[in-house]
Amino acid sequence: MSFYTKCLTVLAVGMAASGEHLQAQVKTPATAEESRQVVSAQNSLNTRSVVDSGSLQDSQLPADFEFFEKKVRPILVANCYTCHSADNKAAGGLRVDDYQGLRNGGNRGSAVVPHQPEESLLVQAVRYTGKLKMPPEEKLPDEKIQILEDWIRRGAPWPRVEVSQEIGKGSSDYQELLASHWAWQPLKNVTPPVIQDSNWATDPIDQFVLARLNNHNLSPVGDADPASLLRRVAFDLTGLPPSDDQLRAFEANPSSENYAKIVDGYLASPAFGEKWGRHWLDVSRFGESTGSARNVPYPQAYKYRNYVIDAFNKDKPFDRFIAEQVAGDLIPYSSESERIENLVATGFLALGVKDVNQRFKVRFVMDNVDEAIDTVTRSVLGVTVSCARCHDHKFDPVSQREYYALAGIFTSTDILAGVRNKMGGGGLDYYDTSALLVISQTKAEPDPEQHQKVEKAQQAVAEAREEFERLRGTPEGQEKGPNGRPRQQIARQKWNRLQAELNLLTDPAHSGEVTLGARDSKQISDTELRLRGEAEQLGPVVPRGFLKLATWEGQPQIAAGQSGRAELAQWLTAPQNAITHRVIVNRVWHHLFGRGIVSTVDNFGLTGDTPSHPELLDYLAQDFIQNGSSLKKLIRKIVLTKTYRLSTENVAAYQEIDPANRWIWRHTPRRLTAEEIRDSILATAQSLETSRPEKSPAAELKVIEIRNNGPEARNLQVAAENSTLRSVYLPLVRGILPRALEVFDFAEQGMVTGARDQTTVATQSLYLLNDPFVRQHSVRLAQSLLDGEDHDDRSRIVHAYRQILGRDPSVTEVNTIIDYLSVYEKEANIYLTSHPGESSETVATTPLTTDANSKPDDSPAAPGNNPPGASNSALALANADEMEQSDLPVTMKKISIRDARTAAWGSLIQALYASAEFRYLK
Amino acid sequence: MTFRSTQSVYADLNGQHLGRFLPDRRQLLKSASAGFGYLAMSALLANKARSEEVKPSSPPGHLAPRKPHFPAKAKRVIFLFMQGAISQMDTWEYKPELQAQDGKSGPGGGKLMASRYKFAQHGETGTWVSELHPHLAKHVDKFCWLRGLHTDTPAHPQAVIQLHTGTAIASLTRPSMGSWLLYGLGTENQDLPGYITINPPPNFGGTVNYGSAFLPAHYQGTRINDAGYLPNLEAQAPIALQRRQLDLIQSMNKDLASRPQAPSAIEGVISSYELAFRMQSKVPELLDISKEPEHIQQAYGIKDGPAGSFARQCLMARRLSEAGVRFVEICHPGWDQHNNLHRGLTNNCQAVDQPAAALLADLESRGLLEDTLVLFGSEFGRLPSAQGPDGRDHNITGYPMWLAGAGVKPGFTFGATDEVGQFAVEGKMHTNDLHATLLALMGLDHESLTYEYGGREFRLTDVAGQVAREIFA
Repeated sequence: MSFYTKCLTVLAVGMAASGEHLQAQVKTPATAEESRQVVSAQNSLNTRSVVDSGSLQDSQLPADFEFFEKKVRPILVANCYTCHSADNKAAGGLRVDDYQGLRNGGNRGSAVVPHQPEESLLVQAVRYTGKLKMPPEEKLPDEKIQILEDWIRRGAPWPRVEVSQEIGKGSSDYQELLASHWAWQPLKNVTPPVIQDSNWATDPIDQFVLARLNNHNLSPVGDADPASLLRRVAFDLTGLPPSDDQLRAFEANPSSENYAKIVDGYLASPAFGEKWGRHWLDVSRFGESTGSARNVPYPQAYKYRNYVIDAFNKDKPFDRFIAEQVAGDLIPYSSESERIENLVATGFLALGVKDVNQRFKVRFVMDNVDEAIDTVTRSVLGVTVSCARCHDHKFDPVSQREYYALAGIFTSTDILAGVRNKMGGGGLDYYDTSALLVISQTKAEPDPEQHQKVEKAQQAVAEAREEFERLRGTPEGQEKGPNGRPRQQIARQKWNRLQAELNLLTDPAHSGEVTLGARDSKQISDTELRLRGEAEQLGPVVPRGFLKLATWEGQPQIAAGQSGRAELAQWLTAPQNAITHRVIVNRVWHHLFGRGIVSTVDNFGLTGDTPSHPELLDYLAQDFIQNGSSLKKLIRKIVLTKTYRLSTENVAAYQEIDPANRWIWRHTPRRLTAEEIRDSILATAQSLETSRPEKSPAAELKVIEIRNNGPEARNLQVAAENSTLRSVYLPLVRGILPRALEVFDFAEQGMVTGARDQTTVATQSLYLLNDPFVRQHSVRLAQSLLDGEDHDDRSRIVHAYRQILGRDPSVTEVNTIIDYLSVYEKEANIYLTSHPGESSETVATTPLTTDANSKPDDSPAAPGNNPPGASNSALALANADEMEQSDLPVTMKKISIRDARTAAWGSLIQALYASAEFRYLK
Repeated sequence: MTFRSTQSVYADLNGQHLGRFLPDRRQLLKSASAGFGYLAMSALLANKARSEEVKPSSPPGHLAPRKPHFPAKAKRVIFLFMQGAISQMDTWEYKPELQAQDGKSGPGGGKLMASRYKFAQHGETGTWVSELHPHLAKHVDKFCWLRGLHTDTPAHPQAVIQLHTGTAIASLTRPSMGSWLLYGLGTENQDLPGYITINPPPNFGGTVNYGSAFLPAHYQGTRINDAGYLPNLEAQAPIALQRRQLDLIQSMNKDLASRPQAPSAIEGVISSYELAFRMQSKVPELLDISKEPEHIQQAYGIKDGPAGSFARQCLMARRLSEAGVRFVEICHPGWDQHNNLHRGLTNNCQAVDQPAAALLADLESRGLLEDTLVLFGSEFGRLPSAQGPDGRDHNITGYPMWLAGAGVKPGFTFGATDEVGQFAVEGKMHTNDLHATLLALMGLDHESLTYEYGGREFRLTDVAGQVAREIFA
């Protein structure tokens, strides 16, 4: 995270802007004794020249720099900065206020080739000899052109900054921290404590827990009753409530053997992967678009989602699971399906938040590298390595050099999300068909004319683009064309259309199977430390490598010619890497108990929590490794313990000693997740479709910016609202979250989220009282109860309670409900009689209609595409920044109810869904 | 009607179902008086739709009003966000030197373009304002100018996000400034969301600009559109019936609350329902500007359709602010005049000038300006030089905003740009400084208002931010 970068950049921008001369931003070593070395760093804004040998550039003399400052920079400032600097859009992706900017150049390639003015695009442009003429208003005087040529001939000298040789090597206390902080020590061989005078503990886990309880003068409360236990374990393992049949069977035989059998059934059901896969999707910050400044869809992202769900269902060993996600493209496979899985797995590195409107490629690349490092290290290692992007980590022993050792691995990797950076782009500009990981190309025969066709299409795109650029912002562009729209808009649309046609020819997504993911770059190399994390400010080159948090003899070494991801994967998952295993078993514990042994599940560093049961944590990690990194075995082991099966009963005395239940004297009640709430409404209303959809509604989106109140967003919301699929399959375009998920603390899609919030807010109540989804399924269940086999209302009520709350109602509750229904029905009837001529208008606000023939709207799951008539709003924009802002008209879905009796029953069912008892697990 | 009284329902439910955990009547009354409106149920049963006896719930801890770090100068904020970047050279920044140097090379390159609008001095302060703002010009003596603002990225998407969250770095979404305020101060009116944004940009980060990111969801902004629409706010059953349903829900919740296994959040659930029920009537009532007297509507220039959007937002903002909403943001988009500068700017100013002036006058006449801070501005400014025949490009190196109302010096100017208006040269304020200053006006120390996430303390101002104390009244 470049927190420091930013403020310093700001400082620099401000100062440069005002014409002040900026002092060197990199601290000169305070004392002369300190060793110094000038490395290849340049500082675009630093006007204090420092000359030294050993720089990347050829030996340069002070006179060179004086020449630059006195002659060259003024020309650049006066004639180029308006369009090509950090203060503005850097037209064509080129900035001339930075040496790297000139060397790397913009979209047309390198602007300056040192010593070779003839080869330098900058010179060609200012000479006005070629197509590119700069500055566009008027040619520079010859003597100025001469100066630029001379400067390049001299090797394009640019002032540089001194960098201490010690930069980014870490703080002096790192060694001690590495040796002392619990999280980074090897796993201990622990023996479960023997507890005298107790037959409560039946498992080593219980022994560990009981020992701690005893230490704190606590005792475990009683066991959970069978109904509560079954409901708990069903939700914990599958995210769904147990069926009434299961409940009855378990209540009849709540033996441990039967319990174990039920647990095995849940672990084997596809619903397990849908529940536990979602936990990992939280951690891997899954989302189906770039989010951020310009929200561009990732139509292929759902493949990664499916991969994760399958991995959990197959009980893919966790080490293998991580290795595939980090380096699936590099590891061996034994079948075609395994090869595909491996490739799709690398989507993990690619599907984060991306700023496609970033002006500078180098920043875009380094931001994406950072995003990948942040995700990998936080999800697998529970440490925020990203802090070391700008400086040595302030708390944890991660030096800036270690960060760039990892960064080299990812700069040697193409992170492929199908998008490119382009400031001020629009339409299909952000779609980069070469930034996709090709799984297979299915076209049977290569088209012999393919090459010609592509060339022709490219030509057409280039012409259309030029025409648009010519018209853009001119009076002619504003004139109305034949169809009544401004000419520039027509030109933009033509360009888009031709671009889409070109894509049809070249897009691997059209001619075969592609995915988001990663592959090794053509250029494999170590990368430079970046001063203060600024992508352009190069420090010393750092050899690729891993973190010192986990080191052991014979650990993997990065082979030359490879990115190092394969070795990174080995290093992450090796049994010697204690932290990886501690982090994952702790994540599992968190999901089953509501609190991790380390409560800060994503942070095992010095600012994180310390483990409540350190020996238990190591025991679990050791056991996990010995069991082949099987998550199912781990989960099974835990849910079979006495500890897991405790009741939630509160005991005032214990509450006083341990209010947070850190020592697990009872089971902590937990709120259902957003998905569980929605899924169990569907399941209990018998509306849940348990099959997996082929894709995601987001898969149908064009790779074009979408606004969060336009037609695409509406279609996604409608698709989500109509869907009866499990929630894990709802579209998850960033910033356009389905309401059912949004209101109940869904994971923030831009971040590694090991533990979700559990807030209680009024929007949740409004959702449960008024949302069409809740109402629709309530009415549906009410109707099926009324039309079902139950003979009387009492047995219907029992049915509803068992279905929704997993228990029998008390006699009093039944009586209360009977009264409630009769009063409600009476009043609803009165209401309907007094509103006989309900027009359709009022129906929308008070949708209690008597239409005997109408059924609740149970339209099938959205097929996952845009309804007819939906157009992509961004496509026709001449300027992508001028997006339509007003909302589409809101249409409330109408729920029609056949009569007052159904209305009363519907309101009862809805009340049960809305009750806190439904929402909290005992 | 045979529906029994609430108390007996309650006792019976417990008696039958829970045996030993039967609460005594004193305990029952105690929790009832805690404000769940529980005993009011019998009144409701007498066919009373909404009972006056339903008291506002005790505020849940996270949104309860909190003491600021030091005495606050302002209690609430209204931010008039002019998305797209106002051309300050044609509205608020009078630069005689720019007028004189029309067509000549500018300090940042390009050819300077003098403003074609007439400027005149207004108020006792003699502040120069162009003819585009005849209404706001009458309020110049209230303005406290920040004329040396600058930011990091000359692209709308990142700059909009930075203005709202303090940073433009995509890799970690930060909480928005309204969320920070809510986190720091809570909210005054527990019946309303504490942070409302009307008609925010649907792109440029979208929800990020009013999201709470890693702060809990209590602190996120509530988005409503310029027609006052909020999802699920409208009761979907006749209100009397819904109240009946809600009473059933609450009796079930109370029942659960009395059990020893009750989740700790149960009281929060119960109060969230009462709040939701009140919001259903109160929020639409508040957003219904048609009830405003004719002369007020006229003053704001209320009309239907897109042309009246900003006027409606201004009036809604006053009503929300008056009701105690901590942070209200309203938005007028479309200031991005790379071309069509003159027509576009004239239209925009027409849409904004009268309503914004009416808002100030209205706040003042109600005494609200004393504790409400109004902020008017864009994500950055535009250049003094020309872009094409009729446009100006972005300028992140110097641009103005004005504040008015609580805590700031009226008729005061802080900071300045150079003689043609390109670069900030005095009183320079980065976005982080602006945020630090806003927090300070609200009584919050930007360095102390932190939240721990991922092992680090975060704040709105990141690792920067200087408070411009010079502007404090």
